[in-house]
Amino acid sequence: MTLLVQAIWGGVLFGAVYGLMALGLTLVWGAVRFLNLAHGAIFTVGAYAAYWVVSSLNLPILIALPFGVLVAAGFSYLMHLGFIRPVLGKPGFDNSTLIATVGISIAVSAAAILIFNPEYKVVPAVVPGYTVISGVQITYQGVLVIAVSLALFALVFLFLTYTRQGMAIRAVSQQMEAASLMSIPVERTYGMVIAISGALAGLAGVLLSPFFFLNPNSGFNPMIQALIVTIFGGLGSIRGALVAGFVLGIFESFVEVYYGVAWAQPGVFVLIILMLILRPNGLFGIGEVRRL
Amino acid sequence: MSSVTAVAPTRAALDETAAPWRRVPLLAIGGTVIGGIVLPLVLVRLDIGTYLITLLILFFIQAVVAQAWNLIMGYGGIYSFAQVALFAVGGWTSGVLVHSLGWNPFVAVLFSPVVAAIAALGIGLPTLRLRGVYVVLLTLAFHQLARVFTVTGPRFISGGGYGLVTVQTFSFGDNVIGDQRTVYLYYLAGFMFAIATFVIWRVIHSPLGVAVTALRDSETYGVSRGINQFRIRLLLFVISAFFTGLAGGYATHYNGGISTTIFDFPRIIDLLAMIVIGGWGTFGGPILGAGIVIGLDQYLVALGDYRELLLGLIIALIAVFAPQGLWPVVRGLYDKYLAPEAAPVHIEVSPTAPHDVEKEL
Repeated sequence: MTLLVQAIWGGVLFGAVYGLMALGLTLVWGAVRFLNLAHGAIFTVGAYAAYWVVSSLNLPILIALPFGVLVAAGFSYLMHLGFIRPVLGKPGFDNSTLIATVGISIAVSAAAILIFNPEYKVVPAVVPGYTVISGVQITYQGVLVIAVSLALFALVFLFLTYTRQGMAIRAVSQQMEAASLMSIPVERTYGMVIAISGALAGLAGVLLSPFFFLNPNSGFNPMIQALIVTIFGGLGSIRGALVAGFVLGIFESFVEVYYGVAWAQPGVFVLIILMLILRPNGLFGIGEVRRL
Repeated sequence: MSSVTAVAPTRAALDETAAPWRRVPLLAIGGTVIGGIVLPLVLVRLDIGTYLITLLILFFIQAVVAQAWNLIMGYGGIYSFAQVALFAVGGWTSGVLVHSLGWNPFVAVLFSPVVAAIAALGIGLPTLRLRGVYVVLLTLAFHQLARVFTVTGPRFISGGGYGLVTVQTFSFGDNVIGDQRTVYLYYLAGFMFAIATFVIWRVIHSPLGVAVTALRDSETYGVSRGINQFRIRLLLFVISAFFTGLAGGYATHYNGGISTTIFDFPRIIDLLAMIVIGGWGTFGGPILGAGIVIGLDQYLVALGDYRELLLGLIIALIAVFAPQGLWPVVRGLYDKYLAPEAAPVHIEVSPTAPHDVEKEL
């Protein structure tokens, strides 16, 4: 019973975490068609910004959280200005941005070592404390992460469906030229999507660091997981990211609890390879496999 | 009647722009080869000569890996991040054969490219039917799995979590020690580098290479001309892995071991920096880049952690603002001052060549 509860709790928590990371990634992919390999770096930027506010300014985490989110959003907007906008719509866009984002994540983790140090940092939980259900520790921070993740999925979905900006984003992602003929500011829309995605990554960074600790490379693994989730759910599909996040999270957690931690990552990789063979577009993707 | 002789098939000389391999600058290549053979004999007599020779050996190893990566990333458009993992496969193959089975390093090193090529087949078969993002993910996954396996795998592979720490190095007999041995190691590495460079140059200028660049520049057109995309990319991937594995095997016996730290980021960063700085999707780019990164390394190391920051920023800036890297500059200088005759207009196809933007955006 304890094992079962542990597996389910871990799975739902992982699922929410993966979903949170994958949401930003899939949003950028869906709208701009660019694979942001700096997503993990932005995660780290947000987490370090919050850590700095807490440890140097001695302010509570509730102030640090929005600060971290804003810094992450600002950082990704700057990245857009410096490295994405100059090549937008040019031939070789995908090559350039792919390599550039790898370069940016290298620079960010080096900068994190220089400004802070390579040691593991502890970011305090937003809501400390836990309760015990049949021998399993249910942390309140975990409950918060699950709630925030679900709420954000709903928010992003509503934003894309009902607001003017959301409609502009969808229009641009469907047909960039037609959208620009309808006098939608394409570049500004791209900047907005990238900033929103950065904010989501930063939020994930601040909320997840109490679980994983924080070091200059701590964004890498969540990004890989987010990539897997994004592909599993179908690139560019928000519903896909939500469902796939929970499916993969629960799968991984069950493997971990019943077969051992060492098999969790290989298991997920086998699952994704099977998925790509059986249904290359992912759960909810439509014909995206030909893109990029 | 005379018109018949006029029409008779005197095949026009193939346009040199279309067949650059016809215009081999024998003097330049011969000079480089002789220079490469004589150089260590001169360097050993200098005080810091041995150090320079070891730098050159390092350059040969890295240049082979960078060229192999460039072959698939720059020319093939396959975004594989499994390069370091394939290097490790080669290294571990040879290492295990020598360490556990007691083979001679010279024999064992011949098996590392074969095993690396087989591993590449294993990755390529499920991966290369897919494109871009999927290849990035699955090759990164392979990298992670290889890392986990070498750390937690059976003891004869993991060496208890540190890798193979004491592998027998190349030995050329009991008399050959010290500087003499370094010179021999240099020749071995140089030979490997020469073979890899020649084969990669031939591949690029073969029908295979033309097909690959055609696919990269306009996939729709290439496929409709009857190019089997999957088979071509798989073949290219295997060729690239072959030389990567060879370099891995050599490096293991040169360093006397292979450690699991090889999977850490700095390795990928260095390789990426070589390709991007030198010129991505150009023949000479990775060689030039390897020379620059290794030549400047002792100054870069002095920068400490600023080194990575600098390299990261340089990679990002070059990728966006000068995707061809430094190679066109060098190429231009060569054509201007050293080329044997008036050079034809040089067309180096590159990542900036027009894609079918409609399909990709």
